[in-house]
Amino acid sequence: MKIPTFPKLTVWRVLVALIFAAGLYATVVRFAQGFQASTNLSDAYPWGLWVGLNTLCGVGLSAGGFAIAAAVYILGLERYRPVVRTAIVIAFLGYLTVVAGMLFELGLPWRIWHPIVLWNRSSVLFEVAWCVMLYTTVVALEFCPTLFERLGWPRLQAWHPRILIGLVVVGVLLSSLHQSFLGGLYLITKGKLYPLWYSPQLPALFFLSAIPAGLAVVIMALYLSARSLRAHFDLTIQRELSFVIGLLLALYALFRGIDLISRGGWEYLWMMRAETGWFWLEVGLFVFLPLILLTYPQVRGSPLGLYWTSVIIVMGFMANRLNVAINALQASAGVTYVPKWTEFAISLAVITAAVVAFRLAAIHLRIFPVEEEPAAPLYGAVPSARAFTPAR
Amino acid sequence: MNNRPKAMLIDITRCIGCHNCDLACKRAHNLPEETEPELSDTSLTVVQERHGRSVRKLCMHCLDPACVSACPVAALQKTPSGPVVYQADRCIGCRYCMLACPFQVPRYEWTRLAPYVKKCDLCAEKIARGEAPVCVEVCPVGAVQFGEREELLAEARRRIAENPAYVQRILGEEEAGGTSVLFLSDVPFEKLGFALPPDNRPLRVLTAGPLQEVPTVVTLGSAVLATLYWITRRREEVALAEEEEKHPHPGLPPRARKREVERS
Repeated sequence: MKIPTFPKLTVWRVLVALIFAAGLYATVVRFAQGFQASTNLSDAYPWGLWVGLNTLCGVGLSAGGFAIAAAVYILGLERYRPVVRTAIVIAFLGYLTVVAGMLFELGLPWRIWHPIVLWNRSSVLFEVAWCVMLYTTVVALEFCPTLFERLGWPRLQAWHPRILIGLVVVGVLLSSLHQSFLGGLYLITKGKLYPLWYSPQLPALFFLSAIPAGLAVVIMALYLSARSLRAHFDLTIQRELSFVIGLLLALYALFRGIDLISRGGWEYLWMMRAETGWFWLEVGLFVFLPLILLTYPQVRGSPLGLYWTSVIIVMGFMANRLNVAINALQASAGVTYVPKWTEFAISLAVITAAVVAFRLAAIHLRIFPVEEEPAAPLYGAVPSARAFTPAR
Repeated sequence: MNNRPKAMLIDITRCIGCHNCDLACKRAHNLPEETEPELSDTSLTVVQERHGRSVRKLCMHCLDPACVSACPVAALQKTPSGPVVYQADRCIGCRYCMLACPFQVPRYEWTRLAPYVKKCDLCAEKIARGEAPVCVEVCPVGAVQFGEREELLAEARRRIAENPAYVQRILGEEEAGGTSVLFLSDVPFEKLGFALPPDNRPLRVLTAGPLQEVPTVVTLGSAVLATLYWITRRREEVALAEEEEKHPHPGLPPRARKREVERS
């Protein structure tokens, strides 16, 4: 029996193979020849694309995991239970890409464990390192039952609910801390980070923006999986998620607007500078366009409309993080940093690996809300493709 | 010498731009002996021509350094005698110190496969032996002096008072909480290519507030989450009990009934 896969199978496979080939080449350059050969980083620009994309975006876009786990297990919002596994798998893979990205980004990656034993409690990065380390462990444990179910280890699976609520609470605390502290990393760049982005409220802004972006990723993943795996999901959850996203985006916009104006940022909004353009692109994509789109019932009511709205939100979110990491530091650095192609290649390869892993999880594990349709088997011969029953 | 905090006073009006200091520094640190225009991983101090003056650039050795607060593995330390020193064996190569430094000083060995951070160490080993940094020893005109920070500040103030040509400012007296390298000049420092900190507070205070809130966030956060969880459980139980009243289920208390429901 033929196993259904992506529609344009060969095109996608070739593309993925090309990305991996480029990534592999760039990896060799990075570790055999060093930063000079593989990046355009410099003393004026010590942090670039890898921090901006792999770390800041990677962690932020994984925020759906803790948000939905909290909604279901702590707030008892049962209607989100069908997507809790989807969100946790996304978060788990997201954090793995962050750790993988770190290995490229660190100058001495074989010492990545040093923060475990060498402490500096006054360092924001130290706190981030610990939180990411612990949360990656927590989200891995949250992911376990899905794996145990597939492997057929019922005893471990039965043991899991006893620690689940503890895991979720710890996960929410750790996530809140390090999502904020990623913004907190830039508090020390006062005088360097352009005023449209520098704010004492950076931690709160990073936290507030990560949740809607993380939820948007969940919507995207559900839509793409439904399409490529030809499965039929209950899409009312996406609509409810988009409502929450809209509220959170409005809250973020309000908070950021008040913060900016109260710090005298008004004049910067209209200056004829590149930063002004980057700022409006970012808030246009992340806040205004999605909020306008979500007012239309046609958009809210269609999976495709919600998918594209989520894509725009994710792009806007990435624009925000890349602006903080790169564009807002341009003026003070005094040099222009454009990432080398090898930097893009490695970032893209790491992200693609996560997407491929997610696809494998989608095929082999039960991570989706699937409508009960016993007459038509959803994934063909794949054994795990039974109708979804919520995991308790 | 005693153990009081040491410092270095550089008088830009006296410097003749002979480059003895940067070349001696390179000799002392086993770096290739050629003068470079900018600080680099092979040049821990430089003398630049700016506005008709010869201007030293080097690590300012802040009293409360941003790099020391930023480093996640405490590879950078402020020693009581003055130097901000780097323990290479701790470093993970995250380069957060470079992002944090308000004077834009630390440099990185971008060309190496095991790259480390490079910056002036104020010849900490020599200071520990009671000697002056090598750049002080080789200066032929006394443009750079070494001694106790308080005494050097007094000397700097005396020079400013005696000669109105000086800018009325000792760079490093208060910037970013004060530094162990002090500059005097007759040309405004802004024109001499100095990267200057945003204000006179140590940059550590910018992150100290949020970091102090961690225990509060954890304590309050877990309390709030636990309460919410309790409410959720209670609501479930109440709902089950109501269900029970409507459709009595003989023999099982509500709690066991719920487990039964979950299992089925």
